[in-house]
Amino acid sequence: MSSNVYIAGLGVISGIGNNVAEHLASFEKGEAGMADITLLKTRYQQEIPVAEVKLTNTQLAEKAGMPDKLSRTALLSMIAAKEALADAAIENITSWRTGFVSANTVGGMDKTEDFFAEFLNDPQSGDLQNVVNHECGSVTELVADSLGIQNYVTTISTACSSSANAIFYGARLIRNGLLDVVVAGGVDSLTRFTLNGFNTLMILDRQFCKPFDENRQGLNLGEGAGYLVLVSEKVAESLTKKPYARLSGYQNSNDAYHQTASSPDGTGPYLAMKGALEKSCLKPTDIDYINLHGTGTNNNDQSEGIAVKRLFDPVYPKMSSTKSFTGHTLGASGGVEAVFSVLAIQHGIIYPNLRFDTPMHELPFTPAREFMNGQQVNHVMSNSFGFGGNCTSLIFSKI
Amino acid sequence: MRTSKYITTSCIISNNTVSKDQQQLFRNNGEHDAAAFFLSVYQHFGFNYPKFYKMDNLSKLGWLAAEVLLKDFDKGLYKNDQVGILMANSNSSLDADLRYFESISEVPSPALFVYTLPNIVIGEICIRHGFKGENAFFIQEQFDTDFIAKQVNYLFDQDILQCCICGWVDVLSTEYKAGLFLIEKEQKEGSSTFSKANLDHLFNQKA
Repeated sequence: MSSNVYIAGLGVISGIGNNVAEHLASFEKGEAGMADITLLKTRYQQEIPVAEVKLTNTQLAEKAGMPDKLSRTALLSMIAAKEALADAAIENITSWRTGFVSANTVGGMDKTEDFFAEFLNDPQSGDLQNVVNHECGSVTELVADSLGIQNYVTTISTACSSSANAIFYGARLIRNGLLDVVVAGGVDSLTRFTLNGFNTLMILDRQFCKPFDENRQGLNLGEGAGYLVLVSEKVAESLTKKPYARLSGYQNSNDAYHQTASSPDGTGPYLAMKGALEKSCLKPTDIDYINLHGTGTNNNDQSEGIAVKRLFDPVYPKMSSTKSFTGHTLGASGGVEAVFSVLAIQHGIIYPNLRFDTPMHELPFTPAREFMNGQQVNHVMSNSFGFGGNCTSLIFSKI
Repeated sequence: MRTSKYITTSCIISNNTVSKDQQQLFRNNGEHDAAAFFLSVYQHFGFNYPKFYKMDNLSKLGWLAAEVLLKDFDKGLYKNDQVGILMANSNSSLDADLRYFESISEVPSPALFVYTLPNIVIGEICIRHGFKGENAFFIQEQFDTDFIAKQVNYLFDQDILQCCICGWVDVLSTEYKAGLFLIEKEQKEGSSTFSKANLDHLFNQKA
């Protein structure tokens, strides 16, 4: 049993960088990852901006050390997971019980789309190799095999809160003495399936998104992967490097309001944030920074904002949506933003909420506008809310 | 702390049959299409929930199983955030994915797209019954009752939930199966001890 769960390693890839260092540089420069679509084959190339990882599958495969015929989802996952494990630098990792808990929502959909284009023209054509890893769990298995993780491998798929759920699920496995080390987080790659789908929901901004702005017009899609290496107290003591933070609180709640929309009173987000605070034995005033879910849709920011107001009023921590940099990486967002949350503690930084201009009329607070360093950041809350009403908040604390 | 837990009710929908607590309640061998069979179940039980018609097959199946499971359930025993849902299947939302994919060639349908995630079925059940507790959806090759039992034990023993609906809901084309189990701390008439073996027994009974 381990009462504390520590974060010993970080790995991330998204539209603003291929590793942790590149992300920090992009944040400091205030450079968003959104642009015209160049890699995804779609009729929306000049119309809808997205935050693509700026590497082809061949380039990703080289970095990942995997075959380039694999799904982009697997390649992104491998790159970030490998970085996290290298960062943790656990000697003799094979001597510990190690798990891989990875979330995603698209699986090998990108390859399936390639298959379908040929198959629909001629039912006798289409490379079946392209569909064997369609399933979400397949992507996790491919990466686990490449990482050499065998003790425990599982996939969680709960929409945009998937990765946040993977992280606290991994923490529970350690707390209960089932595992010593867990690489936890998630991945999603851009596909036509998701781009078309979100487009039909009419929640994609044709400009760069403006989370928590009165005049927000929707979200930008992104892609990427983010993983934490979670370790038990015993593993932490064996490391030469001090862990970055600990996971002190988490809560999952269901909004029970609508399949895809959040409730106007923010019940689910409120219950998730409140439960995470209780679990961490912290007061609202202890939180120094909230990494908001902040998709930029009318509905999310209103619902999340009301929930923040209910819980924090009248003293608000600094907060921002890093989706203003990375776009919404869907199933990966909880993992990507968990990495950012831990970096905020490690480096004493607050990320700006890009393009924020006009405060929302129903909210008494505004997000951070400038990159800040030299901050005292002891406790960070990270929010991830998904379709199906699935709401999760995580809290990371300085050691 | 280890708490006692019971499977107080179960519902299995498979092979054209709906059973509750090992009693067959409905059988309709006339339908070979999953959606048509689900509709016949809905009509047979006289359910009245117009949103049912908008759902994808996975949500329809899970919603129907939960409706039958919770027919005599007293919600007043629990706070809404004390009731959680834990589900698994092997085909994720593939049934809805394919339908949505077919619609793309003409006009991509937002009504189909919203169901292209497996956990939407949990959302539908939570909306119907007002449950706000922890929920999770796992993708597994087969119903891993050992895994599910461990999860449920943890959620009860850590006082995270007081009541849990767990089980399997899977649909792909004409193939479907749902097995839902209501887990509570109080023993009731006809309930069995919550265990992997009892989950297996109830899940695998012949229709």
